[in-house]
Amino acid sequence: MKKYLSVCRKEMLLLIRDKSGLAMLFIMPVVLIVISSLMQESGWGTLTKDPSVQVLFVDNDLDSLGMRIKNGFNGSGSFEVVDRLNQRPITAADAKNAVKKGDYLIAIVVPKGATSTMRANVRLNVAKTLAGFGVGNPMLLDGIVFRDSVNVIIYFDPTVKRTFKNALISSVRENYYKIQTEWVFATFNKELAMQMPLYKPPREGFREILQFKEEFPSFREVELIPNSTQHNVPAWTIFAMFFIVIPLTQSLIQEREGGSLFRLLTMPVSYMTLLMGKVGVYLMVCLAQTVAMLLAGILLLPLFGLPTLVLGDDILGLFLMTTVVALASVGYGLMIGTIAKTHQQAAAFGSISVIILAAMGGLWVPIYLMPPFMRAVSLISPLNWAITGYYSIFLRGGSLWQIAPQAIKLFLFFLSTVFITGIYYRYKSPMNN
Amino acid sequence: MSGQPLIEIRDLTKIYKGAEEPAVNSISLDIFPNEIFGLLGPNGAGKTTTISILCGLFPATKGSVMIDGMDSHTNLEKIKQIIGVVPQDIALYPTLTGRENLAFFGNMYGMYGSELRDKINHYLHEFGLEKHANKTVNKYSGGMKRRVNLIAGLLHDPKVLFLDEPTVGIDVQSRVVILEYLKEINKKGVTIIYTSHYMEEAEHLCTRVAIIDRGNIIALGNPNELLARHPEFKNLENIFIHLTGKDMRD
Repeated sequence: MKKYLSVCRKEMLLLIRDKSGLAMLFIMPVVLIVISSLMQESGWGTLTKDPSVQVLFVDNDLDSLGMRIKNGFNGSGSFEVVDRLNQRPITAADAKNAVKKGDYLIAIVVPKGATSTMRANVRLNVAKTLAGFGVGNPMLLDGIVFRDSVNVIIYFDPTVKRTFKNALISSVRENYYKIQTEWVFATFNKELAMQMPLYKPPREGFREILQFKEEFPSFREVELIPNSTQHNVPAWTIFAMFFIVIPLTQSLIQEREGGSLFRLLTMPVSYMTLLMGKVGVYLMVCLAQTVAMLLAGILLLPLFGLPTLVLGDDILGLFLMTTVVALASVGYGLMIGTIAKTHQQAAAFGSISVIILAAMGGLWVPIYLMPPFMRAVSLISPLNWAITGYYSIFLRGGSLWQIAPQAIKLFLFFLSTVFITGIYYRYKSPMNN
Repeated sequence: MSGQPLIEIRDLTKIYKGAEEPAVNSISLDIFPNEIFGLLGPNGAGKTTTISILCGLFPATKGSVMIDGMDSHTNLEKIKQIIGVVPQDIALYPTLTGRENLAFFGNMYGMYGSELRDKINHYLHEFGLEKHANKTVNKYSGGMKRRVNLIAGLLHDPKVLFLDEPTVGIDVQSRVVILEYLKEINKKGVTIIYTSHYMEEAEHLCTRVAIIDRGNIIALGNPNELLARHPEFKNLENIFIHLTGKDMRD
């Protein structure tokens, strides 16, 4: 035990004296959390009520439909409608040009006569329907045909993501259907009142029957609202913990190349004691990183106007999850550091593999947005197990039982890496060949 | 030499994976207590491999090693308690101070507290490093690093000390201090096994030498005996060149 503690002390001293390594372990992830949360916050829509995306709006209709679509965008809180450029009303050509140049992401052109076409078609539809019931004079409708539909044109910058594009089109379409339904309802009432004097139209206008209410089911009594903080803090904490691969592999290789390992192996101390000393210290570093990230989420992010991190109820679960994630990352570092032959190999493979595992694991792009093959692949990334476990705590209010499957997988991953390290050292290490 | 050997090497062979020729080829050798035994040879002759096997760093392909009556296969942990190793590289942590390095390596030999502190202070004094003890090793000169490298192998008072090129690349003063100290601890009963490229140094320091080339011992004996066997040469270096050839080695 005394030897183990001496190894830990030595590792701690080496780490403390590596200032740039410490900065990479603690400062870089905090900066990343702040930047990514700020970047993503408008997507979650809780940072500010200021609209984040400017939409060029060309209203050639100058009637109800154009007005309603414009008001719909203005009221959404997500868009700022721009209908003048250089103090002049925008033309369709200006709008197209501005999007083409990349000055704006989106432009909407409501064509001339859109409202009158829609109204005429609604009226004809209602009249024909009523005529079918023997209300009104069908002879008057002979020869009247529906007007050609008009196109509301939406220009998109090529960089606009498909999901965002779909959401915008849905929003325009929703507004359109809402207006159409209201007009159909109003036209029916008007026609019936004209044809049937005894008919009394309802005093109230058209009311939407179906309302949508957002809820986020949680194991907690108090609902946890998903936001960029709740997503980013765990994601970047995991990323930072796995980036411990870099200093850990450097420490292993430096010890090997510098000859210290040669000396140590001639001493009455086992290789496992030396490795476990590293595990102990780097585990502590990972736990300290997590505390720093959580404190950043609670104390620092609100200073930037971001939501405060809400920890789940189960602190023990959070501690357990953090411990197994830390063990998995340290185990991964030990394995890479033992297998890699040079500093360059370890640094390149270590950092690139962590980035790949993070991307695969859904740290940056949610898994449900991935194609089926990638979704299947992501399940083998330990970073996916880690983020799933953390989301259980941070977003679903999960407890020990909810994180148990991920925690077990991560612990088994740690054991596997230590096993592979031991086997590699025994049979493949240059020291043993 | 007579009496019971401290180190008995029998038929020692090491063939590295993928290598065509053995690095050490069926060496048999006895080293007696209180000797300063020099293993001399050109680059790649098998010196470091032999020392590494004797230290228990990796196993031999064939053969046996007994140190102080203990088989290195079955009693390696006990053997490690009585040997000290000074590697060719500066096997120290550059960002730890000299004192921290020595304390850590002392701990690995099971030394703690005042016993260790006293030992460290004693050796720092002996090697003129007291003033620099609390500086990080990366601020030391080459000679100072070599001295700390040596102290780390001496802290636990080993019965056998293995030194792999202990004086390579250092100033004359540091070399003199190191060699004098080796003689002194040898007088106190420490058996020294030492490799070097410096023939003159070996000639003056060693009680016996073995010249190894391509994994084989090609000459063995007291430096004076070797000179007597080859009267046409006036020093060990000439004998060495004669036996190993003038071809440069990788």
